Amino acid sequence: MGYIIDGLREAFHLIVSLDPDVMEITALSLVVSLTATCVATAIALPVGTAVKFTDFPGKKVLINLIQTLYSLPTVIVGLLVFLLITRHGSLGFTGLLFTPQAMILAQTILILPIMTGLTISALSGVDETIRDTIVSLGATRLQFLTSIVREARFAIFAAVAVGFGRAISEVGAAILVGGNIAHRTRVLTTAISLNTSQWEIGTSIALGILLLAIALVVNTGVSLFQQR
Amino acid sequence: MIEIEHVSKNFGKKIVLKDVNATVRAGEIFAIIGPSGSGKSTLLRMINLLETPDGGHITLDGTDIRAGPGLTLDIRRKMAMVFQKPAAFDENVYDNIAIGLRMRHVPETEIKKKISDVLEVIGLSGYEKQRAKTLSGGEMQRVALARAMATDPAVLLMDEPTANLDPVATGAIEELVLRINREFGQTVVISTHDMLQGQRLAHRIGVLMNGIFSQVGTPREVFALPKNKDVARFVGIENIFSGRIARISGGVAEIESDGTVINAVTPLPAGTSVCACIKPEDITLHLVDGSQTSARNVLDGRVARMTAFGSVTRLVVECGIPFSVLITWKSAEEMGIAEGKPVKISFKASAVHVVEDTEVRRP
Amino acid sequence: MKKSILMLLAVVMVAAAIAAGCTGSSGGEATPTPTTTPAETRTLLIATTTSLYDTGLLDALKAPFEQEYNAKVDIISAGTGTALGYGENGDVDVMMVHDRVREDAFLADGHGIDRRVIAYNFFVIVGPESDPAGIKNMTPEEAFATIREKGLADPADVKFVSRGDNSGTHAKEKVIWKTAGFNYTTDITNSGEWYIEAGTGMGATLLIADEKSAYTLSDIGTYLAYKDKITLVPLVSEGDILLNVYSVMRINPEKHPGVNSSLAKDWINYLISPLTQKTIEEFGVDTYGEPLFFPAAGNWETMGVNRSEVEDPVV
Repeated sequence: MGYIIDGLREAFHLIVSLDPDVMEITALSLVVSLTATCVATAIALPVGTAVKFTDFPGKKVLINLIQTLYSLPTVIVGLLVFLLITRHGSLGFTGLLFTPQAMILAQTILILPIMTGLTISALSGVDETIRDTIVSLGATRLQFLTSIVREARFAIFAAVAVGFGRAISEVGAAILVGGNIAHRTRVLTTAISLNTSQWEIGTSIALGILLLAIALVVNTGVSLFQQR
Repeated sequence: MIEIEHVSKNFGKKIVLKDVNATVRAGEIFAIIGPSGSGKSTLLRMINLLETPDGGHITLDGTDIRAGPGLTLDIRRKMAMVFQKPAAFDENVYDNIAIGLRMRHVPETEIKKKISDVLEVIGLSGYEKQRAKTLSGGEMQRVALARAMATDPAVLLMDEPTANLDPVATGAIEELVLRINREFGQTVVISTHDMLQGQRLAHRIGVLMNGIFSQVGTPREVFALPKNKDVARFVGIENIFSGRIARISGGVAEIESDGTVINAVTPLPAGTSVCACIKPEDITLHLVDGSQTSARNVLDGRVARMTAFGSVTRLVVECGIPFSVLITWKSAEEMGIAEGKPVKISFKASAVHVVEDTEVRRP
Repeated sequence: MKKSILMLLAVVMVAAAIAAGCTGSSGGEATPTPTTTPAETRTLLIATTTSLYDTGLLDALKAPFEQEYNAKVDIISAGTGTALGYGENGDVDVMMVHDRVREDAFLADGHGIDRRVIAYNFFVIVGPESDPAGIKNMTPEEAFATIREKGLADPADVKFVSRGDNSGTHAKEKVIWKTAGFNYTTDITNSGEWYIEAGTGMGATLLIADEKSAYTLSDIGTYLAYKDKITLVPLVSEGDILLNVYSVMRINPEKHPGVNSSLAKDWINYLISPLTQKTIEEFGVDTYGEPLFFPAAGNWETMGVNRSEVEDPVV
């Protein structure tokens, strides 16, 4: 029990004193996962909208596939991206391996299916009468789509939050393509993994608390936004 | 203003509209009435280009609304539609009404003025900042009406706008429809399954049944002179008896229905299969005390059933054929009406509306 | 670091702007993932065996180097097997490992060049103080055979935790099993509950062995670094077979164009320099009361390597 108390005490100290290493790791986590979420949003929103509002053969199959990939294992994504960007991989020339950008790429791929799928669900949740009303008011195709997306914005925002949550909490892909390099690709999850194996329980707990705090802030933000 | 010509529509194997023809005139309120599932919504949606007809044409001011894909937006922007289900955008009232104007890139100052005007009309001035989702169904529907009105449509289409509302909210919407028609000369096409609403609002009514307009006319024409048995039944005429004109004597036809003879005025020749329609309120009830009546039809019967019907009592009097008769509570009490009591009924020959019974002629 | 965070923030903002711009459009245009930006300071990417990292030695060595060469040293801590894999793919610039046999193969295949030996220490067989198998002061081979025998008979009491990750330590463990007369595949792995394959780094393996009151093979450096966190004690530390030699080599730029070869040379020469060798010798003495590593300088005979591998600078 003692080590937990000690760990908590040390964690508290690390957070209150704004320990530079801990802050740096937290900041990098935020930057990497926020960027991945932004990029994934920029893709998932138009793609989800396109899938929802165009008819094409195999649409059902595609949506099924997207939903299956909700639970895409993070290490599989890590492996895939690793094989792509290792120097002799097809994207090896980019020199992305063991960089934050590689982690962004992996996290983007990781959360793309769930964000696209939830975008489609969000758009499907818009009332039929509202859809009719938009068309009836004489909306152009683009006006129709922007109006629908705007109407679904709260649900889409929730989808973005889910994506961010999955991105910031994953460890498998981050460690495979990032390499957990100190001051470069070390994020909250990989740092917790390393510090625990080094029995640096205090640091692990501190990082864990910060990870939870981020999740709490994001969720609170989403619900505040939705209640507005 | 709107010409509907030979319009037909199937959903899969189900034929919804067979051959619909009608003209909507500028400045009138045209009500499409018909039972549920008769295709009222489908017809309105086709006018608004939300559905595609399988056959026929619809023209707006002489232009075929399906003349070309480039025209769709233009045509749609000349119309506005209010839907059955009250639904509001997840915005405040102002933005809810502004949406159609913003799609037309109307300057914001003009939008502001317009919205203040329409809010005044619908009686929701000062509600601009309120979130529309927090409004009641009736208020939401008024906002929907304001949203439609704000775009100055040539034609306002309303698809059963009061079907989901309580009587008070329904009254408010009806009043608004009458007012915008009267004050702004707004052409309105409204669908309803409530024939009384049609009667209250419309200049002209089209009765949509079995895939066609069975009858188009003023409320008076439709209610007093239904063109056939189905229309008669739909507009609420309860006494409809099938029979044959046995003979004509002195301009009065004697119609035999199940052994009972009904005298009526009709131009149809003897031998025609007909339906005799008699409104309950045109029938007088007498006790069997022998008091005299000038009516051509006097029938003996007995009270088979008594039921409350709003502020009056509805009786079924069995005279060989069952007649529906309305009588005030007070009269019923005074006359000592009870089930099983022998009574007499009388009605004028001119109160009997005779229509040819087309069903019998069908092979 | 500050700079790269700023760079990333810029990337975030661009991405956000793209996201905002795309809102509602139906096009499926994909946003390209931001690509890396050329660093102003040169970066050296090292894949290292976990023991050099977990003990803190590499962190201690890299700071002066970064200053002297205006460079940034990024370290990926992985087992020797993983490090060799990264090297074979040209994904790192330098490898620091401790498995002579596989190093030789790696050099022979042309992936690596300029191997230099930088330090050595010894492996120890550690275990619970109660020593349930009774291996204290046996030879390593005897100790292993005893652990196996007792473990098979009584797996509840006698266990062995293996790195199981193809690291240098794991390779050494296999060598000891072989020398003790066992076929690793048939006699050891899957032979029973007594043999636990951790599949993780040295530090984590020590923690697992500690939790399970099991025996394990560790390099002395990592063991000393973890001594305060665990209750395991060294039981067998004598025997030539326990020698543990750490080498550094750079990735062949001819085979893997794009690796940072000149900085890699600087790093190797820095490690074999007398000053660094002294740092290695003194590292950890303050904290643990004894050195974690012995410098290679002057000890080529002990390690059984050529003098040139210890002293000759890379040119």
